[in-house]
Amino acid sequence: MINRVLSDAYPDGGLWRLEAYVGSGGYEAARKALGEMKPEAVIDEVKRASLRGRGGAGFPAGIKWSFVPRTTDKPVYVCVNADEGEPGTAKDRAILTHNPHAVLEGLLITAFAVGAHDAYIYIRGEYESLARRLEDAIREAREKGFLGTRAFGLDFRLDVAVHRGAGAYICGEETALLESIEGRRGEPRLKPPFPALVGLFQAPTVINNVETMASVPLIIRHGADWFVQQGLPRDGGTRVFTVSGAVVRPGLYELPLGTSLRELIFEHAGGLRPGRTLKAVIPGGLSAPLLRADEVDITLDFDSLSRCGSMLGSGAVIVLDDAASMLTVLNVIARFYAHESCGQCTPCRLGTAWIWKAASRLSAGQGGTHDLDQIVRVAGAIKGRTLCPMGDAAALPVIALVTKFRPELEAALHG
Amino acid sequence: MVEIQIDGRALCVPEGTTILEAAKRAGIEIPHFCFHSAFPPEGSCRMCLVEIEGQPKLELACSTAVRAGLKVLTASPPVAAARRDVLEMLLAEHPLDCPICDKAGECRLQDYYELHGRFSGSFKEAREKRAKLVRIGARLLLDRERCILCTRCIRFLAAYTGTAELGVFERGVRAEVGVFEDRRVDNPYSGNLVDLCPVGAITDGDFRFRTRTWFLDRKPSLCPKCGRGCSVFVDVVCGYPLPPGERRLFRIRPRENPDVNGSWICDIGRYAYRSDLTENRRTQAVLVRDGEEILVTATEALGRVIAAVKAADRAGRRERLAVVLNASLTNEELAAAKEIFIGGLGVGRLAFADPPADRADGRLLTAERVANARGAAGIGFAARDLDLKAWAGSTDALLVFGSHLLDHGRQEELGDALARIPFKALFAAHRNPLDKLMDVIVPVPLVAEKEGNLTNVDGRVQSFKPVWPAAGDSLAESAVFGRLREELG
Repeated sequence: MINRVLSDAYPDGGLWRLEAYVGSGGYEAARKALGEMKPEAVIDEVKRASLRGRGGAGFPAGIKWSFVPRTTDKPVYVCVNADEGEPGTAKDRAILTHNPHAVLEGLLITAFAVGAHDAYIYIRGEYESLARRLEDAIREAREKGFLGTRAFGLDFRLDVAVHRGAGAYICGEETALLESIEGRRGEPRLKPPFPALVGLFQAPTVINNVETMASVPLIIRHGADWFVQQGLPRDGGTRVFTVSGAVVRPGLYELPLGTSLRELIFEHAGGLRPGRTLKAVIPGGLSAPLLRADEVDITLDFDSLSRCGSMLGSGAVIVLDDAASMLTVLNVIARFYAHESCGQCTPCRLGTAWIWKAASRLSAGQGGTHDLDQIVRVAGAIKGRTLCPMGDAAALPVIALVTKFRPELEAALHG
Repeated sequence: MVEIQIDGRALCVPEGTTILEAAKRAGIEIPHFCFHSAFPPEGSCRMCLVEIEGQPKLELACSTAVRAGLKVLTASPPVAAARRDVLEMLLAEHPLDCPICDKAGECRLQDYYELHGRFSGSFKEAREKRAKLVRIGARLLLDRERCILCTRCIRFLAAYTGTAELGVFERGVRAEVGVFEDRRVDNPYSGNLVDLCPVGAITDGDFRFRTRTWFLDRKPSLCPKCGRGCSVFVDVVCGYPLPPGERRLFRIRPRENPDVNGSWICDIGRYAYRSDLTENRRTQAVLVRDGEEILVTATEALGRVIAAVKAADRAGRRERLAVVLNASLTNEELAAAKEIFIGGLGVGRLAFADPPADRADGRLLTAERVANARGAAGIGFAARDLDLKAWAGSTDALLVFGSHLLDHGRQEELGDALARIPFKALFAAHRNPLDKLMDVIVPVPLVAEKEGNLTNVDGRVQSFKPVWPAAGDSLAESAVFGRLREELG
């Protein structure tokens, strides 16, 4: 019986084959939803389960689905966001490697709930072997009659296509992803309208992350109450945390939402290497403002992290110990966002480049403390003023880092 | 209608109006680069951010629709800071080569800096080096250092011409506008990109480095190159002293007119009409003797014409008078011509010589390539083919208005026919290969140099005034017809 998104398939129970997946109770949830439930009931169940988007923003999935109009003369699309690009994150890769059918099953249930008959899985270009594994899984499911014109022999059609990206971080932003599927340059769209009303090919569209999709069958199989019990009332289920950096056992840990960050680092990931002390933690992927060592006594869930000015994001926990140079970290962050800005809107295009140029100058030993003020000022000119969330993703970590580690940065500049 | 407040002023505007539009109606200009009223909001320049009471973040004025009770602040400290920051970023990566930039003086970046910037820049990093001279079309040049990536040019080519020659390449700070592989922006509306560009990134080879915009007087006029009658500005240098012979008419640009041409004109109106106005003009009246031109005053030349007409009239040989008109004459001129030549003189032969019709392009350019085909038809001139050969043996005097005889016969044929007509007078704005076969030539002004009314393809009567007096000794057709009317009673 599958109770978790990833752990039950890991390290390799062969669950990626349809036979093994079905043997563990796989596709029963989809059969139940399509055969016994009304779409509204599926949406209600997912709403009650407090399933929040695992891509980064943490938007409740059931509420997102309920924005899709019940009656429309256009087709409705579902897209799975498998463009896992947030630095530090590798959970979707593991889920697609070990449990691809859970994603397809979740996709079936989602499509049924919102009335979609065509779905796209947008997978990052670097995940070539995973794209092939997904295509194999889709073929298996189609041959078995789970996908295609009459899913489970019922009057429901779902066709799934895998679309490979070409390596841009921004295509993980849901509207840039839609542009990319449509064959255009991957640039976010101006919102509103939101994709639930005007999405792929101008039609209503739901976009969910791989991990979100893989969680959906668990809700239908075990019920919303069970799912909430796996996590928190406002944040149901488990999350697959990607722990990297200065820990003894970096890796993927599937834990209940609400687990403490300290427990994740010091128990599951084995703590720091001998003789090292904790300096900082980036709790939710590179876009999440980092926490000082004295701020890590918090629980890992969306609300708790946003309360302390950061975010749970993609669940990527990057641990920095006393050996880490914060000036280098600043440089890494600045370079990444300058490199990945799509260039569409002014503050992100020019602000990220400005910060990166200033940060690299500081790293080269040419600059002073006033440059730190300048970096914070430019980041402030990006924050809240861009066309898509990437502006905040680029600005907030920079502001947090320079503000929280100013003494160390100043010392490095004078050293 | 909903009630809103902008900067404390109560306004009543239709629901769905954008904040930018509502503010404009109230006389409040919200600065913007990427927004253009001909296209849906793009939202990328971030210059039009405004504060909405009760909202934590600034919102786009170009795309946010008003709703009842909305309170907008367009000049609050957060708004001013956001504008200043956008300008500082754009100017940080801008070459500041305003002294040699054609756009200087009408550049949004310059204007907005004066209105909303006025900071001393704090950018200390190395500016990106980019290509400064990229030929993207026959006349169009792109300076990538000046480009602010507003994508107006790209959206125009995608939405209006449908040709989509331009795109954005690369990303982030390296993002740049460019053409796809071997394609070039050579469509018949390409010149609009120059006006659309809010900065000096796309410049026009026809205008480049020729003058400074602040010397130009922009004069409203109409384009006579087809039946659309697009509203244009003719940009001329009136007062500033220039060396003799120097061009004083620099460019023709669209003048926004939602009823006729929207925000655009075609390249024929922009470039061919500009050449019409400045090149190969005849500025002096002449008598032609054995192929040699003898300069005379227009009054004297016109006197010869009147004498020839009177002679035919007195001899009772009015039917041996022939007149060739053209359908770019104004309604007033055509009415006068009808009164004099048909009503008064009852001339035996009257025809029109115009450039041949071509295909309408489905946008602005009409099939007829004259300004007033509708007007001519309305005044009651029946379309009659010009057959100079048939007239030749039985015509004493021929009066030709316009330069398009050659569109109605081969040069030798026309020459043979003209040789058999004893007196030939030409009223034309340009020099022409048939000139040496005439007896009298009087220069006439073009539409930009006279006044009157033209009826466009949709039946809209549009009046226009001269942008400046015609050069040299030109005599407007209206004056010619006026003299004829006087002399012939």
